[in-house]
Amino acid sequence: MILYTLRRLAGVIGVLIAVAAVTFTIFYVLPSDPAAAACGKACSTERLAAIRAHMGLDRPLWRQFWDFVSGIFTGRTMGSGQYALRCDFPCLGYSYQNSEAVWDLLMDRLPVSASLALGAAVLWLALGLSTGVTAALRKDTLTDRVLMVGAVGAASLPVYFTSMMLIYGLIRVAGLLPYPQYVSFGDDPASWASNLLLPWLALAILYAAMYARQSRSSMIETMAEPYIRTARAKGLPRRTVVVKHGLRSGMTPILTLFGMDLGGLLAGAVITESIFGLPGIGRLFYGALSTGDQPVILGVTLLAAAFIVVANLAVDLLYAVVDPRVRL
Amino acid sequence: MSSTAPDSAATSTTATAPTGSGPWQLARRELRRRASVKVSLAIVAAFLLMAAGAPLLSALGGRSPDEFDKSAIDPYLGGKPIGPLGGVSADHWLGVEPVTGRDLFARVVHGAQVSLLIALTATAIVVVAGTAAGIAAGYFGGRTDAVLSRLMDLTMSFPSLIFMIAMMSVAKDVNRIVLMTLVIGLFGWPGIARVVRGQTLSLKHREYVDAARVGGAGSWRILTRDILPGVAGPVIAYTTLIIPGMIATEAALSYLGVGVRPPTPSWGQMIAESVSFYDTDPMYFVIPSACLFLTVLAFTLLGDALRDILDPRGGRT
Amino acid sequence: MNKRTCTATASALVAALALGAAGCSGGTHSTDGKGRGENPALANQGAVVGGTPKKGGTLTVLSNQDFTHLDPARNWVMSDMEFGTRLLYRTLVTYKAAPGTGGGELVPDLATDLGRSSDGAKTWTFHLKEGIRYEDGTPVTAQDVKYNVERSFSPDLPGGADYAARYLAGAEGYQGPAQGKHLDSIKTPDDHTIVFELRKPFAEFPDATVMPTFAPVPKARDTGPRYDNRPFSSGPYKIQSYGRDKQLVLVRNQYWDPKTDEVRKAYPDRLVVLMGLKGDQIDDRLIASQGADASAVSWGALRPESAAKVLPDTEVRKRLLAESTNCTDMVQMHTGRAPFNDVRIRRAVQYALDKDAVLTASGGPAFNDLSTAYMPATLFGGRQPDTLKIPTTGDAAKAKQLLEEAGRPNGLSTEITVSSGDKGRAEAIQQSLAKAGIKVTIDTVDPSAFYATIGDTTHRTDLVYTGWCPDYPSGSTFLPFVFDGRYIKEKGNSGNHSLFRDKATMERMDEIAAMTDAKAANRAWQKLDGEILKKAPAVPVLVRRWPLVLGSNIAGAYGQTSFGGQLDYASVGLKNPAASQN
Repeated sequence: MILYTLRRLAGVIGVLIAVAAVTFTIFYVLPSDPAAAACGKACSTERLAAIRAHMGLDRPLWRQFWDFVSGIFTGRTMGSGQYALRCDFPCLGYSYQNSEAVWDLLMDRLPVSASLALGAAVLWLALGLSTGVTAALRKDTLTDRVLMVGAVGAASLPVYFTSMMLIYGLIRVAGLLPYPQYVSFGDDPASWASNLLLPWLALAILYAAMYARQSRSSMIETMAEPYIRTARAKGLPRRTVVVKHGLRSGMTPILTLFGMDLGGLLAGAVITESIFGLPGIGRLFYGALSTGDQPVILGVTLLAAAFIVVANLAVDLLYAVVDPRVRL
Repeated sequence: MSSTAPDSAATSTTATAPTGSGPWQLARRELRRRASVKVSLAIVAAFLLMAAGAPLLSALGGRSPDEFDKSAIDPYLGGKPIGPLGGVSADHWLGVEPVTGRDLFARVVHGAQVSLLIALTATAIVVVAGTAAGIAAGYFGGRTDAVLSRLMDLTMSFPSLIFMIAMMSVAKDVNRIVLMTLVIGLFGWPGIARVVRGQTLSLKHREYVDAARVGGAGSWRILTRDILPGVAGPVIAYTTLIIPGMIATEAALSYLGVGVRPPTPSWGQMIAESVSFYDTDPMYFVIPSACLFLTVLAFTLLGDALRDILDPRGGRT
Repeated sequence: MNKRTCTATASALVAALALGAAGCSGGTHSTDGKGRGENPALANQGAVVGGTPKKGGTLTVLSNQDFTHLDPARNWVMSDMEFGTRLLYRTLVTYKAAPGTGGGELVPDLATDLGRSSDGAKTWTFHLKEGIRYEDGTPVTAQDVKYNVERSFSPDLPGGADYAARYLAGAEGYQGPAQGKHLDSIKTPDDHTIVFELRKPFAEFPDATVMPTFAPVPKARDTGPRYDNRPFSSGPYKIQSYGRDKQLVLVRNQYWDPKTDEVRKAYPDRLVVLMGLKGDQIDDRLIASQGADASAVSWGALRPESAAKVLPDTEVRKRLLAESTNCTDMVQMHTGRAPFNDVRIRRAVQYALDKDAVLTASGGPAFNDLSTAYMPATLFGGRQPDTLKIPTTGDAAKAKQLLEEAGRPNGLSTEITVSSGDKGRAEAIQQSLAKAGIKVTIDTVDPSAFYATIGDTTHRTDLVYTGWCPDYPSGSTFLPFVFDGRYIKEKGNSGNHSLFRDKATMERMDEIAAMTDAKAANRAWQKLDGEILKKAPAVPVLVRRWPLVLGSNIAGAYGQTSFGGQLDYASVGLKNPAASQN
């Protein structure tokens, strides 16, 4: 198990370097000039050259990549003289746009994205699993039909539509919630939750439907297994059978799905953040993209990839814990 | 990441039960029994027809999708359509777009063409590439498998939406529809490749495949005659199920402003622009949203049914 | 020279960036082109909305974006300059805090007067007031002003105005103070005197000292590129916290002495700028003006999409400002290469363009005025002439005829670059040109990259959509910047995006610039405007307004005419400070 984990971790690093290389190439091969963007409108040729040199853009591509990768571990010093910026491990460079360390920026935005993703995940798991299990236990009844039609319908709703309807209904008409704007949990937990509730709902509706469908089919499959029949025959109460035996193995496929979704969402809720104007990782990325802020773009892609890979790893390890049949 | 592989390999041994009387006939009979299939097929067919006949349909409506109509809007109210329901009239069957007065019917019909074209072509790329990679990895095994599997893992580790946005936004002088199709396709193939790989692994040592091999058939022949038909069921089901995702991705990219070039309409572009009018001109917002909703719903229902029938236990990734 | 009552520097160059504009919009009521009566958006024109504010409370600013730069050496976007110089730092000279044309008047700020020139306007001397202190209580010195001007040369601190670079003597090749080198052409004989030596006469130098470049930065506080995130205050407020793209909180600078400041009223105790909100949600919040939003204002202009919610509502209209930006939006054509080197083709565009459609896409006649000349109405004494008499909706037949004469009976294909916020306007242009057979492809570019893109004269598209604003009511701040071929730069080009190199025009410009009679010069500029229009290097389209909906608890509000109609943060406050959130 330990060996396996170590091997997988090495793989994670390999994947991250590959992602960095691909991102690097995309942005340096394609025409986009961050120096010109930073220089502004009255930009003379000499000034542009000076800025390019300052940003290190005048060096060959492989060299820039090497500086970046090695800089992550050893740290880097950017600029010179009084204005030199020192950046220590883990050094992802400095934003061209606002001169903050990319790592700090990411860590500043992560709580927003994490709040969004985790809160929504709790909601959708609760909603999705309860719906799915209920439907599974009442297989082929009217309840089952209604729930499943509802789930397919909800999953098909464009998230823009759901969001606007939520804004209209809960904010404009009912006046129940404030217009979302991020308040950190540490400052005011109640306000944090009430501001995020709407984005949570919008995301949860989308995902809950998927989880309901998935958990239903998985539950139905499990409940048909011989050992469940045995447990029932032993005279165990239905509740115990469902909760102790059915859920445990019925939920393992859900775990995969959940790991991937959460990993993807932590750094990729671009749309939701954009709809509700939340200052998360997704918006950081989007803003960096429009200003050609390459260090930030690179930082976000790496972080996002890291989340996905780590989430996958975590899922695989959890699998071994939850499902005794899986050996690593 | 390899977690799902043992799972689907294990389950798919029972996937395609050999039946005497033609599995496809059975499938067709089963499909015909379901009401949801009929409805969703009808919806899909309607939208496909609409997309294919877009120029014809908008000619019928008498409006081109790019043509402004100033008489239909009130410039003093920020270009709000004149008349009820977003300016519905004999002239504009579904009303007009605010500000420009462009005909909503013509735009939604042409938008269907663009959105479905992108989604279906991207799906085709994904399916062809994914199936080929999956079969190759599963059948040849060894180094081929190792390389392809690593490639799948790598591609799946990419934050795809983020990469798509990035690629769309840096590329300027290109056909955006083609680029969008390719970009969406690029990140989709590993999912299907895994399913196919698992399926192929289980088929590879079936008696009839061994028999063919012993009979001296070449790899190509075995792959096309024996393996491909075996994986076709799950592939078809999976394909139908990923189409909604493709449509949604097109919409997402357009929503974020990296989609088609104006004035080309697509459903995503229309939704993105109409969001700001959701309360002042609800009709404008509802129409493209409803189209997106119905299409996604129809493909999902169809895919569900196909999966139940063609691949009752596999294909869940 | 200093007789101008309505000046605004911020430079023409700036204006172009900010979408905002300098200049003054007189009390000229909009003529909406269709004669449907009074423009409903202009009820508050030239007036202060909400009466006199009471001291205290928290003013909330709802913004859909972050500031580009707050570092005074780098701050060169109209609204950001307004915010910075009204709240955080003081400059040698600034604009009076007054609505309407009064807002164009120059007043001393750090300095005791508007500066004294000698040596034929080549040397400018300013004396600093006593008693002006930073947020830590230390006094502001002339050396600090000099230091910040030097900072603006640093390649580590790009983005700022280049006035210093263009006018100061011996500034060539200077790379800022980071390596310990200093400019000899700025002298500080004592702590309260600063002398600028220019390489050529510049009578409008005091106008330039309104720029944040001429705000003080103490050397000890200079953190280089990171100063942008925490500028050190010499104004009435200091930064309590600044999360980029999230939230900026300003609190009072206790060392700011109102006795030294005739401009800033500093009514609220705190200002909170909430950034990155959605534009449509900001509009909805301010229209509803519920709870804390009653004490809020919007940072960006009202979106055209929200016009339908604002204009019919008399209550909301009372809280609406819509000062003119005084910038002319233009379609500029690349006259340096085919096909637009042919005047007939350029005139075809002039005729084909449906300005009315662009106006609608821009929010309609309530928030824009059509343009029939290059220079905005203030430079024509209140009303632009219509020398070409082209219908506002365009004349496609005439355009086709011109194309035919030019040997292009089948029309042509071309491209236009627009800032992403102008997509709707671009589509209107595209549609109307298509009617005449000119097929236009639209390239949208993010605002931050827009000027870099169109400033690259070799790689840019044939057409660009951009604006220009006069610095003060004189044609000399408009026409030479936009149509003088000698200003063209290979890269980083600005202003003359038509790349118009017309000998007759340039000669005439030199003649007018040499005129001594201001009135005659004005008339000459107006005439020249019409003559250039005939050569059609660009099509003037419209002049935008800067509509802002205010919360119902806001008082002392008006659009500052010298800062593109942005809310004047020097004098805005609350009616009832107790009603604002803390």
